[in-house]
Amino acid sequence: MLRWESRRNRLLQEIETHIEMETQENLDAGMPAEAARSAARKKFGNVLLTAEKSRLVWGGLWLERLLHDLRYALRSLGHAPGYTATLVLTLVLGLGSVTTMLAIVESTLMRPMAFPDPEQLVLIYAESQPEGTSLSPHSLSYRQIEELRRSTRSFASLSAYNTAARPVGASDGTRITVLTEATPGTFQMLGIPAKSGRLMESADAQAPVAVVNDEFWRERLHADPKAIGSDITVSGQLRTVIGVLPAGIRFPQGTGGPVVYVPVSLNASGEDDFGSDTASVIARVKPGVSLQQALADAQSVFVHSDPKNAARQGVLKIVSYREYVTGDMQRPLLMLLGGVGVLLLIACANATNLQIGRAANRIPEMQMRSALGASFGLLLQQLVMESILLSLLAAALGSALSYGAVALVRRAYGTQFPRFDELSVHPAVLGAAALLAILMGVIASLAPILHIRRQTASAFAAKNTTRRGRLPGILVALQVALTCVLLATCGLFVRTVRSLQNVKLGFDPSGVTTLVLMPENLHQDPELSRQIETRLLRRFETLPGVQSVTMQSAIPFSSYNVALHGTTEVSGRAYRDGDAAYYSMVSTNFVHTSGIHLLRGHDFLPKDETDTAIAILVNQAFVNQFLGGRAPIGASLKFHREPEDKDADLPFTQPMAIIGVVENELQGGDLGAPYEPMVYLDYLQLPKGSLLNMVFSMSAQYAVRSMLAPAALASELRAAVKQEAPTMVEMSLQPMEESISQSLGQRRLALRLVSGFGAVALVLSAVGIYGVLAYAVAVRRREIGVRVALGSSRAQAAGLVMRQAGTMVLFGLVPGVAGAWAAGHAVRSFLFGVKVLDTATLIAVGFVLVAVAGTAAFLPALRAALVDPAETLRAE
Amino acid sequence: MTTRETDNQLELLQGTLDLLILQTLAPGRAHGHAIAHSIERRSEDVLQVGHGSLYPALQRLLKLGLIEAEDGISENHRKARFYRLTAKGRKKLDLETSKWRRFSHAIARILTPLAEEGR
Repeated sequence: MLRWESRRNRLLQEIETHIEMETQENLDAGMPAEAARSAARKKFGNVLLTAEKSRLVWGGLWLERLLHDLRYALRSLGHAPGYTATLVLTLVLGLGSVTTMLAIVESTLMRPMAFPDPEQLVLIYAESQPEGTSLSPHSLSYRQIEELRRSTRSFASLSAYNTAARPVGASDGTRITVLTEATPGTFQMLGIPAKSGRLMESADAQAPVAVVNDEFWRERLHADPKAIGSDITVSGQLRTVIGVLPAGIRFPQGTGGPVVYVPVSLNASGEDDFGSDTASVIARVKPGVSLQQALADAQSVFVHSDPKNAARQGVLKIVSYREYVTGDMQRPLLMLLGGVGVLLLIACANATNLQIGRAANRIPEMQMRSALGASFGLLLQQLVMESILLSLLAAALGSALSYGAVALVRRAYGTQFPRFDELSVHPAVLGAAALLAILMGVIASLAPILHIRRQTASAFAAKNTTRRGRLPGILVALQVALTCVLLATCGLFVRTVRSLQNVKLGFDPSGVTTLVLMPENLHQDPELSRQIETRLLRRFETLPGVQSVTMQSAIPFSSYNVALHGTTEVSGRAYRDGDAAYYSMVSTNFVHTSGIHLLRGHDFLPKDETDTAIAILVNQAFVNQFLGGRAPIGASLKFHREPEDKDADLPFTQPMAIIGVVENELQGGDLGAPYEPMVYLDYLQLPKGSLLNMVFSMSAQYAVRSMLAPAALASELRAAVKQEAPTMVEMSLQPMEESISQSLGQRRLALRLVSGFGAVALVLSAVGIYGVLAYAVAVRRREIGVRVALGSSRAQAAGLVMRQAGTMVLFGLVPGVAGAWAAGHAVRSFLFGVKVLDTATLIAVGFVLVAVAGTAAFLPALRAALVDPAETLRAE
Repeated sequence: MTTRETDNQLELLQGTLDLLILQTLAPGRAHGHAIAHSIERRSEDVLQVGHGSLYPALQRLLKLGLIEAEDGISENHRKARFYRLTAKGRKKLDLETSKWRRFSHAIARILTPLAEEGR
């Protein structure tokens, strides 16, 4: 800047000298002084133009012009604070929400995981259904894993792991803790160092050692620096803590809070400490090996490793660890990004309209500048500059806003969704926001520029115009359409959450508290566990205020459910591949406690020794699938036996007889899930030595129906457990209704976000409608005055404005409904109990939009009604 | 538009002014006013240099490194800015001069018969 100034001054001085020399010559030639000077000036031509052209040669002029334009833009915006504030606020809302969403998408879906060379980390799993598209990993057997580890060449390292909740005892008592067993070398493969102590090594495979994460060390070991070497009990077994992981490590992904890691140790029959002979597989691909090569290599080894399993499991799949972790998040997040994109469009339309309005007011100024020699290009540059300046300012404010919003989301949902604890606004996102802002600035200033060009080109001054372009009206209609899309989507989510809340649960959750217990020592005799659990059941039943108690291996909305998915053969019906039902173990008074309706037959009887057959209850879905048209009571079924199966491979071989049919009950934790065929077995009637007895030795789930307040009941139950079964550890104690409302969390979050977008969109649209109408009234003041003078009533004048508002809304609603239909299709996998094009929702949305438009149009209409004809006529 | 004044004055072809300035500076250094007058005088007032257009051309030549500027005192004891050729400028002048000669010969040869026919 300073250099230009001094250079320019020197040039001007040089030119001045030049002119003086010329003047001197003219004087010498005998001209009078005045004439000599003016002749010299005339001969030289336009001094300033010369200086300008010379500076053009120096280059960098654009930058100087830019700075000049910037100063001018700042000054002229300072004169229109209301306009500036509205415009900036509009853009802040649009850009802020886009930046927030972009930051979330970038942090979770695009940013590499916090491991060294994360792109090399993959998950290997078997997909049993070739056409399946879900990312649910199916674990591989340890035999296959060993084979893969030994014979493949594409992997630098390969690990197996399993995770479960287990009682872990430290100095502060025994609590249920996340326990992950992993093959030694897993952390070395991931590239995670030990914060203190050491990691598990291959020599530790059978050793009673454990590694803990930072949270466990802080919460359970009191951040004791001498914790290394101390002992903890894991599932009743004493283990020495050999290492602590650094803070912020999440492995396996999705586990939060304290975690204990132990080495996988297999027993004689190839099962690990969890009694499982399969595990999830994570591997690091060698550098330079592509995923396809690695997959081909693994597949060829896999096929030969375990022919029977390979045939059943189908083909291997490889997925990058990052995709595995966030694969489920991809669609919802991208959809929300689409939502904020719509919001940004609305904001952009608003910005354009505001700028058109302002441009109209500035036409005299522009005409003046044009007359003084400013080229159209220069004016254009000026306007674009002003628009970009505002957008960038809004982007800066919006980014600040998104910092806050992202921090809020991280705090609220950090543990709930994968990688949400890593959320932050990275420079790349800020760069993208700035680019978007510049783009918006340019787009929003294009329409006003064209407007001005038309006006300055026309010979007439614009003072008396009453006509204006159609563009503002079209933009408002577009806004209304987009708002309609957002609101309709929001309505669909509202309806979804409402219909989920009204789902027929099959059981009555009110007054039911769920208690989950686990034996401290998992290796204790299953028969002993059963005795303890039954004793506890009887004890609970005698507690004051308790109406009834049942044990169930699968309780709705519990996270500790165990249900056997067994291939099932119904007598009198040919077995077909895939005939299977879920088997749930319950205690005798299950029907009474859960409040489930018995549709046919009778309940379990205390000693139901009808037959050698085992008495069972089935649900309606079972009857529909397997007993279509037949009388269900008395029908007999058994587990299907493949030719190569031995007795020991089946849960039990005895036939089962249906004694009653109950209504469908929700399983699992998703209110939107379809009903599955269920078989309920009385656990006391299970044959001795059946595999199913093992289930209750792992965990016991009680559903307690009581009139007591949840807190009072909880303390009563805890006291009973402490007294009656001190070796049982509490895993969870929660009123069932609480679990139900928690299960709606994700949909509630989606609803909250979409409603937020809808509300912002509504405000922006209202501002847009108001702005356009207010401007229209200002421009048509004269026309309205003349109309009133000629006998039009004030109501008619107001009607003029209202009609304009109505037209804009109507023209917006038609494409809006089409857009809502398309949006409904895009989100249909998140919907439940509502159609993609829901008439009631659309009517409600239409009503809201009309009401908002009416409110926005009220002030302009009032102003139109109050136009004083006398004033207009005087002005004429 | 001040360049179009009388018929026997010619407008300068684009780029010609640069050559003329270089040529004018060949004997030695000169200031802007002297350059303008020298060009007018030597073309016997056929080529009219808009004095204003001289300065952007000088800036261009400075930027290309064909000439350099220094402060000095004029014959009338005024402070003025003097321009002189650089070695690069001298080479450029030789090159451009011979190019211009060939060009004007060629144009002259093409135009001559036509001019005689028209007569």
